Amino acid sequence: MLKDYVQPKTVDGVLASLRQGNARIIAGGTDLMLDMKAGKTEVEKLVDINCVDSLKKIEIVDGSIIIGAAVTHQEVATSKLIQEKAPVLAKACRTVGSLQIRNTGTMVGNVINAQPAADAAVALIALGAVAEIFDENGISYLPVEELYLGVGQSKIDSSKQLVTSIKFPSLQSGQGSAFVRLAQRGALALPMLNVSVVVTLSGDKVDWLRLVMAPVAPKPVRATEAEKMIQGKQVNEETIIATANAVASQANPRDSALRGSGEYRKSVLQTLVKRGLIEAFAEAQK
Amino acid sequence: MAKTVLKMILNGKPVERLVSFDDTLLDALREDLGLTGTKKGCGKGECGACTIIMNGKAVNSCIVPALQAMDAAVETIEGIGTVEKLHPLQETFVDYGAIQCGFCTPGMIMSAKALLDKNVVPSREEIKEAIAGNVCRCTGYLKIEEAIMAAAEMMQSQQGK
Amino acid sequence: MKKTSIVGKNVRKLDSVEKAMGAATFTTDISLPHMLYGKVLRSPYPHAKIINIDTSEAEKHPGVEAVVCYKNTPRVKFNTSATSTFTIPPLQPVEDQYVFDSVVRYVGDEVAAVAAESMEIAEQAIKLIKVEYEELPAVFDPLEAMKTEAPLLHGQCKEGRNIPGEKIHMEMGDVEKGFEEADEVFEHTFKLPVQKQAQMETQAAVAKVGVDGRVTIWSTTQTPHPSQRILATIFGLPYSKVRVLNPPYIGGGFGVRIGLSAKAEPIAMALAMQAKKPVKVVYDRKEDFIASDTRHSGYVTVKTGVKKDGTFTARKMRGLLNAGAYCSWSAETPGVLGAMGLSVYRCANQMYDGHSVYTNTTPGGAMRGFGNPQAMFAIESQVDIIAEKLGLDPLDIRMKNMMKPGDQWVLPYKCQSSGLEECIKKGAAAINWDCRGKVEKGSTKKRGIGVGIGSHVSNAWPFCGDYSNAYITIHQDGSVLLATGVPDMGTGTITTLAQMAAETLGISFDKVSVTFADTESTPFDIGSHASRTCYASGIAVVAAANDAKKQILQYAAKKMEVEEEELQIENNNVLAINNPEKQLPLNKVAVDAHLEGQQFIGVGKIVPENAPPWLAHFAEVEVDTETGKVKVVKLVAAHDVGKAIHPQIVEGQLHGGLAQGIGYALSEEIKYNDKGQQLNDGFHKYMLPTAVDIPELEAIIVEAAEPSHPFGVKGVGETGLVATAPAIANAIFNAIGIRFFEIPITEEKVYKALLNKENE
Repeated sequence: MLKDYVQPKTVDGVLASLRQGNARIIAGGTDLMLDMKAGKTEVEKLVDINCVDSLKKIEIVDGSIIIGAAVTHQEVATSKLIQEKAPVLAKACRTVGSLQIRNTGTMVGNVINAQPAADAAVALIALGAVAEIFDENGISYLPVEELYLGVGQSKIDSSKQLVTSIKFPSLQSGQGSAFVRLAQRGALALPMLNVSVVVTLSGDKVDWLRLVMAPVAPKPVRATEAEKMIQGKQVNEETIIATANAVASQANPRDSALRGSGEYRKSVLQTLVKRGLIEAFAEAQK
Repeated sequence: MAKTVLKMILNGKPVERLVSFDDTLLDALREDLGLTGTKKGCGKGECGACTIIMNGKAVNSCIVPALQAMDAAVETIEGIGTVEKLHPLQETFVDYGAIQCGFCTPGMIMSAKALLDKNVVPSREEIKEAIAGNVCRCTGYLKIEEAIMAAAEMMQSQQGK
Repeated sequence: MKKTSIVGKNVRKLDSVEKAMGAATFTTDISLPHMLYGKVLRSPYPHAKIINIDTSEAEKHPGVEAVVCYKNTPRVKFNTSATSTFTIPPLQPVEDQYVFDSVVRYVGDEVAAVAAESMEIAEQAIKLIKVEYEELPAVFDPLEAMKTEAPLLHGQCKEGRNIPGEKIHMEMGDVEKGFEEADEVFEHTFKLPVQKQAQMETQAAVAKVGVDGRVTIWSTTQTPHPSQRILATIFGLPYSKVRVLNPPYIGGGFGVRIGLSAKAEPIAMALAMQAKKPVKVVYDRKEDFIASDTRHSGYVTVKTGVKKDGTFTARKMRGLLNAGAYCSWSAETPGVLGAMGLSVYRCANQMYDGHSVYTNTTPGGAMRGFGNPQAMFAIESQVDIIAEKLGLDPLDIRMKNMMKPGDQWVLPYKCQSSGLEECIKKGAAAINWDCRGKVEKGSTKKRGIGVGIGSHVSNAWPFCGDYSNAYITIHQDGSVLLATGVPDMGTGTITTLAQMAAETLGISFDKVSVTFADTESTPFDIGSHASRTCYASGIAVVAAANDAKKQILQYAAKKMEVEEEELQIENNNVLAINNPEKQLPLNKVAVDAHLEGQQFIGVGKIVPENAPPWLAHFAEVEVDTETGKVKVVKLVAAHDVGKAIHPQIVEGQLHGGLAQGIGYALSEEIKYNDKGQQLNDGFHKYMLPTAVDIPELEAIIVEAAEPSHPFGVKGVGETGLVATAPAIANAIFNAIGIRFFEIPITEEKVYKALLNKENE
């Protein structure tokens, strides 16, 4: 039974409130409120982080983009900085749920909620993002990729820890990115598949590529074999098709009665990867 | 049941109400404040019938904790127009046949208002995006979009004056 | 047709300002002093016997004021649908439900209910009810359920294993002879999904029991009068002691509450009678999805004999629908499916057989179209197959065979008017039919154009009884109160009825008020369904208005010393037709009559004929061959509505129907797992279209006046989705050359079909 709801103004205040026990952080609350109603989350106190000004920033510091924990999907999606320096993330955030959901749900919350197909997480992993974590032991950092423990399970314990921000290098010229999504309708739908690509070219060759796909496993998956394979290759149709074919070995989507068979999604994944690569290469070559 | 006082600026006026810690903003509006214009279609943020504007943004009040509205400016369908002077959106929703059963209407109008408050020259795509989270099962959305376009034009000419 | 001044105009809808301001009252908005909140405990099993139920803990829970289950509610069988109140003998209604039973027959079936001071307490309390179940074998598919080893859901049925009601058989001419005359015979079976109405307001009721024993029920029903009878019968009360009304608005219906609102009314009533306080029962969205009627899923088989030139010589159809766990409308829907399926094309030799089958799934009931969309997906897909095979243009084969006024058909009423040819021609022009097949086809995105035609009804007869009544009362100031028993669930009913009343009376529209959907203030009407309000209730309203008008003119004739026949009412004035200067304002006439002890009260009591509206739907689609995703680019719906009383309302009906038709064709479906659980139980899992999924829509109104209605009206409430799915499926065929025999045509089905085609 919920007995208290506090809105601290500082990160220290948030941690102090958590220390008193039986508490949990709430940001947008889009998932948490439903879990509480369904009895999935039992908690006595909610610590709302929306009044902490330092958590509401989107900024660029020394070439790194920092997005605070209280920043909503819509703020990310419409940020000029993100649209310019990390378009893959702006696009991913724009596809979440509906405008109302994007106006409340935070990007960091989406990552910590650890759903296999979290759009923002898929993009952030491709961007090589790292989370900044505060707890009673001080500050630590973990790549977003490593935050996932399993379906709906994060390494972050929101009753003790606060992710203050997520940070990743901004994209430079010669880099390109893409976010491709297949869903059963244009809004209010979880993805059947989503793919994020970040690529760096040197000349007409691929310097390196990060390719993340979901939901093809309990957490977003880096197509490391395809990434390796494409390194140093010429940007052309042949490379794109070979890379798209190579992702299959690392994708094991399960059969979903609601969102398509594993067989279908595995097969059509290659199309999405192909389209993602074409878009990212084009952007990098601009 | 543990309760506390929620203070907010509701439709331009300060209000204080005792709410439960686990109340949603929709509970507070409908049950505690008697503002039943805002509808509950699913209780899960999946249909938009409960859409209100909080600090200038359209949100699903059914999944916003009531206490997250502390000190916030909250607008509901009851606060945007009067019988004597309907809001341009109310006017055009009526005149363009955008209203059938009327259950999605309050949320739909609030989503549209949040858009037009920031942008009185929206494209058709921007309108669609703004109301994509508002399910309407009656109209097929077409007349709703036309009404929003028409309201935008009304607001442009009002602002031009 | 006489020139009209109000009919045909887009007047401001009577309900719209209230709705735009959030001031309109719906059942879910009602709050009464001391009102309690009801919550239902539902079965987790598809089929089980309740061995023991212990409600004692729930009863002791603080704040709980009533707990009901099969032990303390009436053992009176009923049918939640209104069919039980107007099934015409010798047919008998199928009554197979109790408020609560000791056997549960689908996941979500009612086990018990609690009324408590708050919803939270009620939710806690139902968890305290201990139920011991003995699981029974369950069956989910209608074909399986007819086999001898299948469990019986409701004991022996007279027509066959698990078959509710009567099997439907229709026949005309000699089908076998017709097939012999054919050059080619085509036979295909089509599979149809469970579609959900997904109206925005969930099933809801508030029941109040007065100290005098009179019961008032505010609810979301589409049929207050029939619902009054169902409820009074269950609880053994005189009808006059049970008032059923809408408050007055309903958040959509689409057929889901023709009769009771699932069981919201009887459960609220049972709880209120026990608690002696008002009780509100509002289904949550999941309950609405799993425990409230759906469109019938099932199978439709069509066999057609054709001459080389495309002339149909014989058609045989079979419809097999999944009734779900209780009958609801399952005895009637197969009839409408067959009758509509056989009535679009002229064919001398036709036969239909159809019925439903009980299974352990959510009951199938009424949803917009009522069997007709199922029929037309099959027929219109097959007509396209035939055209393709014979090398005919899909429009030519339709024009060649389409029903025309005077043609013989299986229905007991006449086809007296048809604008179908005009619909096809105008629709074809709007979709650029001439470009069909000539559209530039990209390598991975392929475009196609398709068509589907159809018809429907303008009321419920002959599938069940249909009649309407209306009162018109002229106030002393010449303003008018219209009383009609039909709800306005968003379809503009009260506005169009008021328009017809004002037009007939010769008074201005703003002088008319309407009381509606209330058993205490309105005469009996079978309710808002079957595309009937504008047609059937409209005829009653016009009759009432004419009756009132006759009284006015009789009275005025004496006053004005003019023959009654020479008088007319125009613009709120009674005037002499040949001498318009001779006039009396209506308010003067009314107040004079009042002072002499007379009020003009018109009564309309009618039994309607019926009339077919006609429609042609055209779709343009784009298929992404690399993902299987189908995008509808444009939809055109040309409809012969007889006369559009309010064109904007008509367009709105068509747009809404089209949107539901897109969902039916491509994405909407409730699926089950092997435990009988509904997988798509909320908006997030049920893929109805959002604003961004809707293509360009074009509604074209065609008006071929219908002689059986005073203003020429035909029904339009359901037609918008009758042929949408086949038009889209036919467009997909045109785009990629693949025929789908099952909807929804999801991205995965398209993708797999494309792969199979490649591998052939």
